[in-house]
Amino acid sequence: MIRGIWTRETAALLLLAAALPVAVMWVVHGGPEVLGRLVFVLVMAGIWHLVFMLARAQPPSFSGAHAALLIAMLAPQGLGPVQLVLGISFGVVVAELAFGGWGRNVLNPATVTLAFLGFGYPAAPWPELQVTLGWAAIPAALIGVGFGVVPWRVFAGAFAVALVAWATGAALPREVLTAALVILALIVAEPVTSAATHLGRWLNGALYAALVLAFGAFWLDAAPVQLAISAALLTSLAAPLLDEIAIACWFARRARRLGRKRLG
Amino acid sequence: MTTLFRRGLSVPLAGPALPLEAAPEMTLTEESAISATQEADFRVDLLAEEGAMVAQGQPVLRSRRQPEIVLTAPVAGRIARVELGPGRRLSRLIIFREDAGGRHRHEGRDRRAALLESGMWTAFRSRPFGRFAAPDEAPSAIFVMAADTRPMAPDPHRALAGRKEDFARGLSALSELAERLHLVQGDGPDLAPTSHRLRVHRAGRLHPDGLAGSHIHRHHPARPGRPVWDIAAEDVAGIGELLRTGHVPQTRLVSVAGPALREARLVRCQPGADLRELTWRLVTPGARLLLTGSALDGREAQFLGLRDRQVTVLPRPEPAPPPHWFRGALSRASRPLPLIPTAALDQSMAGGIPVLPLLRALSAGDAETVERLGGLSLLEEDVALADYITGAEPRMAGLLRAMLDRIESGAA
Repeated sequence: MIRGIWTRETAALLLLAAALPVAVMWVVHGGPEVLGRLVFVLVMAGIWHLVFMLARAQPPSFSGAHAALLIAMLAPQGLGPVQLVLGISFGVVVAELAFGGWGRNVLNPATVTLAFLGFGYPAAPWPELQVTLGWAAIPAALIGVGFGVVPWRVFAGAFAVALVAWATGAALPREVLTAALVILALIVAEPVTSAATHLGRWLNGALYAALVLAFGAFWLDAAPVQLAISAALLTSLAAPLLDEIAIACWFARRARRLGRKRLG
Repeated sequence: MTTLFRRGLSVPLAGPALPLEAAPEMTLTEESAISATQEADFRVDLLAEEGAMVAQGQPVLRSRRQPEIVLTAPVAGRIARVELGPGRRLSRLIIFREDAGGRHRHEGRDRRAALLESGMWTAFRSRPFGRFAAPDEAPSAIFVMAADTRPMAPDPHRALAGRKEDFARGLSALSELAERLHLVQGDGPDLAPTSHRLRVHRAGRLHPDGLAGSHIHRHHPARPGRPVWDIAAEDVAGIGELLRTGHVPQTRLVSVAGPALREARLVRCQPGADLRELTWRLVTPGARLLLTGSALDGREAQFLGLRDRQVTVLPRPEPAPPPHWFRGALSRASRPLPLIPTAALDQSMAGGIPVLPLLRALSAGDAETVERLGGLSLLEEDVALADYITGAEPRMAGLLRAMLDRIESGAA
């Protein structure tokens, strides 16, 4: 009879709260110029949410602000408003709203927007993230995990792979590490588009870390953010597959424990 | 087996705590009823007329579909009113207590017949689908639940206090019905010795570890043709008492608790007791909601449900003013609401079930996936916690019930 408070918007607000440390650091470094950019992206994403609310009766969500923050922070520099509008519209509409809004989407709108802008305008330089942003990603992850809106297993999987890489002597430049951390904390570990099973989440984090390592080693002319975003895009495309693997493993374990006869 | 990290959640519920020491008060309410919901689709024949005097334990209702199954009068008294829905579906049969009715004695024949005739058979719940066990059904396992983790539930160990012998006698009767018994209990010494037929499982203190569904799903999943029954430990002791004395036990241990009470208490009352009388003088002023069952899976009722062992009193929510038409349209259009995976949701079902895939399959009506993930071992009460956590709309409990009904009609 009683209901809890964990509706979709509670989760979205907590996710926003978790992103705050990184957002504050970014604004402190960037000053008023980045604030203008943030407002622009927020307005554009907000317009699309409004359009879908009026045309398709989809309630808007605070997660739109989360995506807008990521887009403003990580989008390639020096793009004109038209190009930005195109990118945001593509990402927000095709990746999220067309699926029915946050909670039903398969890909993160920020990932899709950034990948679109990166592929569409390869000449535009990717932003250089300050090292402090990488540090700020740690409290961001802790807030998310502490409130339970972000799955800790994704981080655990990523760190397991990072440890193995470190032990075998693989090293990443500090810029790549910063970008990889920020994107891991804010995009890869986002609850809706990451894997939804326990093993799937470990694999999800591990796959992301492995892709970042591979790109860092072999994709030499890529910018750090571009590299991490590409890894995030491929990882979230693989998330349903990882879930299927996890369920198949769960089922096999269960069959072994209970015996085939009992499961029929 | 004890694990380091028990899975599950504690559900915070305001209100006075249950007394730990005081002995439960014996309360037989003046009115009591045998009630069923219309969805339960329980069609009956009357064995006693309105106005007739009945003894406690005397059969009063017979199932039309399975005539061996009877329900007996919870107290001695006069049948005041019988309310039947369309198609002779039982709504409720109300009895006014008159102690002069005495107690009905059941002469023991073989065990199965004794259980059926005394109405104790209805203490079994058969999965898949959660119906009364069929009279000729041979379960592949019976789960005896001596643990209950629902918020404010009475401790089943207390219900068994002083009834050790009856409980042992009941268990031995159950072992004639099924090849395998599973006893789920909380902390403390084993309530029964482990043998090749009986296994003891430990349940933690966190919900839903004390629900039968969690343990059935983990240890002995149910499927059509291979039913698994569950029964409360107190009823097993009741079966022992029935076999010893020939009398159906008069009372059960029930907790009366909830945020809208001045004082919570444990009572021993008859099955189907009147909730108004049980909560009389305990309720704080104002409009109140009387639930039979826990705050998570209870339903509003006037009489204690057939299987329920707790009464929860909640403040009745103010009737909300109708939402603005636009808001209303938005919230209607977005149903079923999307599910956001959170750490709490992962904990809301025990046994390592992949929770989100299961709930997504339920919400999409994908019966095949639900069956594959072990959904046939579950009932409404097992997804009630997920409902609480996600605020899902429509409720997962209702979706699961509808899906089980659909699978049942397809399998039959």
